[in-house]
Amino acid sequence: MRRIGVFVCHCGSNIAATVDVEKVVEAAKTFPGVVYAADNKYTCSEPGQEAIKKAIAEHNLNRVVICSCSPRMHEATFRKTIADAGLNPYLLEIANIREQVSWVHTDKEKATEKAIDLARIAAAKAAKDEELFTSTIPIEKRALVIGGGIAGMQAALDIADAGLQVTLVEKESSIGGKMVMLDKTFPTLDCSACISTPKMVTLSQHPNIELMTYSEVTHVGGYIGNFEVTIKQKAKFVNHDICTGCGLCETKCPAKVTSEFDQGLGKRPAIHKLFAQAVPNKPVIDKNSCLKLTTGKCGICSKICPVGCIDYEDKDKEVTKKFGAIVLATGYELIDWTKLYGEYGGGRYDNIITGLQFERMVNASGPTDGKIVRPSDGKTPKSVLFIKCVGSRDVNKGKSYCSRACCMYTAKHAHQVLEKIPGAKAYVSYMDVRTPGKGYDEFYMRTLEDGAVYVRGRISKIYPEGEKLISLGEDTLSNSNVTLETDLVVLETAMVPNPSAEKTAAMIGVGRDKDGWLQEAHPKLRPVETNTGGVFLAGTCQGPKDIPDTVAQASAAAAKVIGLLYKDELETNPMISKVDPQKCAGCGFCIEVCPYGAIELVDFPDRYQGKKIMRKVAQVNGGLCQGCGACTVSCKPGAIDLLGFTNLQILEEVDALCR
Amino acid sequence: MSQMQEELRQKAKELLEKGEVRYIIGWGKGRFHHRPPIFIYQAEDVDKLVWDEYCVANLGKYLLDDKFPEGKIGICVRGCDSRAVVRLVQDKQVKREDVCLIGLPCTGKVDQEGRELVKCRDCMHRNPPVYDIVLGEPVEEKGNPDRFKRVEELEKLSSDEKYEYWSNVFDKCIRCYACRNVCPACNCRECFVDQYRVGWQGKQKNCMQNQIFGLTRAYHIADRCIECGECERVCPVGLPLMELNRKLIKDLNSLFGPYEAGVNPDVKPPLGEYRLEDPEEYM
Repeated sequence: MRRIGVFVCHCGSNIAATVDVEKVVEAAKTFPGVVYAADNKYTCSEPGQEAIKKAIAEHNLNRVVICSCSPRMHEATFRKTIADAGLNPYLLEIANIREQVSWVHTDKEKATEKAIDLARIAAAKAAKDEELFTSTIPIEKRALVIGGGIAGMQAALDIADAGLQVTLVEKESSIGGKMVMLDKTFPTLDCSACISTPKMVTLSQHPNIELMTYSEVTHVGGYIGNFEVTIKQKAKFVNHDICTGCGLCETKCPAKVTSEFDQGLGKRPAIHKLFAQAVPNKPVIDKNSCLKLTTGKCGICSKICPVGCIDYEDKDKEVTKKFGAIVLATGYELIDWTKLYGEYGGGRYDNIITGLQFERMVNASGPTDGKIVRPSDGKTPKSVLFIKCVGSRDVNKGKSYCSRACCMYTAKHAHQVLEKIPGAKAYVSYMDVRTPGKGYDEFYMRTLEDGAVYVRGRISKIYPEGEKLISLGEDTLSNSNVTLETDLVVLETAMVPNPSAEKTAAMIGVGRDKDGWLQEAHPKLRPVETNTGGVFLAGTCQGPKDIPDTVAQASAAAAKVIGLLYKDELETNPMISKVDPQKCAGCGFCIEVCPYGAIELVDFPDRYQGKKIMRKVAQVNGGLCQGCGACTVSCKPGAIDLLGFTNLQILEEVDALCR
Repeated sequence: MSQMQEELRQKAKELLEKGEVRYIIGWGKGRFHHRPPIFIYQAEDVDKLVWDEYCVANLGKYLLDDKFPEGKIGICVRGCDSRAVVRLVQDKQVKREDVCLIGLPCTGKVDQEGRELVKCRDCMHRNPPVYDIVLGEPVEEKGNPDRFKRVEELEKLSSDEKYEYWSNVFDKCIRCYACRNVCPACNCRECFVDQYRVGWQGKQKNCMQNQIFGLTRAYHIADRCIECGECERVCPVGLPLMELNRKLIKDLNSLFGPYEAGVNPDVKPPLGEYRLEDPEEYM
């Protein structure tokens, strides 16, 4: 017999202010199967949990319904509570009367009515709850970090320092990411390379870290604790085992192409290191621009290499490895403003550059050796206009979100212009100045004191006139039109997700938000986890961030990985799909709709018209299944059921609501 | 027509004699204008095969009676039969290599009074889209410009009027399940209506349970209906079942783009596929 106990939480005034809690308790006493109902000020508190345990013992309860906040908040807490009282932890139902009732309604009478409905539904489902049992799976004690920017490096180092094995995969020929492109970092103005290159070296020498540069993840199978990942190592055409990194080849290579690292401002040879301090400090041949590989004529690098490490026959290699956890640190790119902002010339004017191009220019190891110049004629600009929010906070043309780092690096850029070019003018067109960080506002104030002129308003048009660029805009503080005549314009463009993240995320089964950023499991409470077990997020792949936040999140992701991999075995979620092979016709619709690749068709011995035959039926991999239930609705004969959310339970809930 | 019949018998004889197929599913001569399905195992029986304006029944479903065949099955396919086979292959109920499709371009079938059948009037594919052998010349597709006309009329009704309309329809249903039994999209091992589960499809024959049956069946075949119209043809009480099926096809087309079940074996049914760009209005 079902003996259900209902516990209604006040959540201080969070629920009680909008829901008549006593009324819910009285109503709950009339639900079928309910033998006990009570309220509590804070059910999740120690006394609240004790009250539940006491009631279970005194009233011999065998099912528990808690009307409180979202199950995402405290389901785990209460499962433990009832387990402590001797019940199977899955004999618990939570009616969310906070997020779904008190926080979203104002009319107390109607809110109470809804709370009672939700409680009734939960009690009806609880009556059909069955005991569920977890099982354990072994864990592969090795982590995979995808992306070798500052986020990936920090996560890899933290995990490796904890004594666990890490493989770091980076698609470029060197780790470092976007941070090594930068000149100085706000608000302290320490040199970006000086603080990131030592990390790169430490990482490459770490005994627990396997570094795989010029490599890409091509397939991810398996599940938390037991991922099977295929990594493609692109052909480098240089044998890194014997290459000494002397750099002679780079000086003689005749094929010069636009440097991606220098954001198109400089040239690089076909055989190249990504940048001078690259790690590993050995070159690769870009097969699309190498004369030997494209035309068959050349071979200079091979002739002059003192150790003979050039190998034009090198091929892409694929390796498959097992990992227990994955950290995604795929980073960002800048929005392609040239396609969106025709009013800024759409890329036709040489002297309109992006913030990242400015960074390369002002960087001492950049294409201009640290000199700020006009790309058109190499002259030093006497006046520079910085335009913020190009692509950010622009629902019509770009993205709705704020890219978070731009306000601060614009202040830094303006400061650098004023510092490096005596007598220069620096203008900043802005909508708001957002400086919420340690030492951030002080830095902005310092830039203002340096003499930067901030104009509040958007620039509507830029056109060249003689050697100058004329920018038309509005100063919304003085309600007047402004016309700015400058030698150089720098667009501080929006961050967008790295385009390669889409494919990687789809492979692993990680969701993306409307803008393509990887989706965290919960924006507040599970900010580095994803909805796929064992997969964590670090840095800007999850959303725009500055370096301090990126590093903090990377360390948080590392802590989660360490916490996971330090266990020897993993408890699996028992709320997974289960197939009835007698009903299953093997159509495979469930396989197509499963976002986690958790279902496969397997042979099932059967009899058919007097013959022994082998037919196909669906089978769920308990390690991969996340219990989303997509398969159950795709199954016409109802051969798949989700344990803990069975068809029967859902029908009972609907019936209870219609009662 | 008789020339095609001769060609068909010739081809069937050839296939059986060479042992390329173990038997052939086609239409045979029944009483009056009836052309029941016929299963020909011997080359000397090929003259029992009939191809004329009365060959009405969709043959695709008969493949489900021999899902693990000991040899290849030859099957006569018009546009509708061909689409039925494609659907069964897509649902992994029939292996493509187990069947040999003998294509027969079709100009529509008639009833005993010589009137064109409704299902043939609404036909979108008179030529079999998929076949191994095709007999005769391809015929001109006439399309069906009025495909969704009736659905659009029904959509104009108010919710109450719609409810009344469909209640009247399903009030007449006798739950004989002929529509399900003839439907090539219905290929579950155990249909939901036959399962005993608490809170499931009630076994009572009343308007409420009939509605649950009719609507659930329509949803189950939403992206698998090949519009062969067999459900409507075999319904002993003449329910307008294709109106319901076409409404779902129309909705699927507007949500997921144009799709016709069973025409292209490489195109998956929209509800049986996960695409990143699928609409998510409810999110």
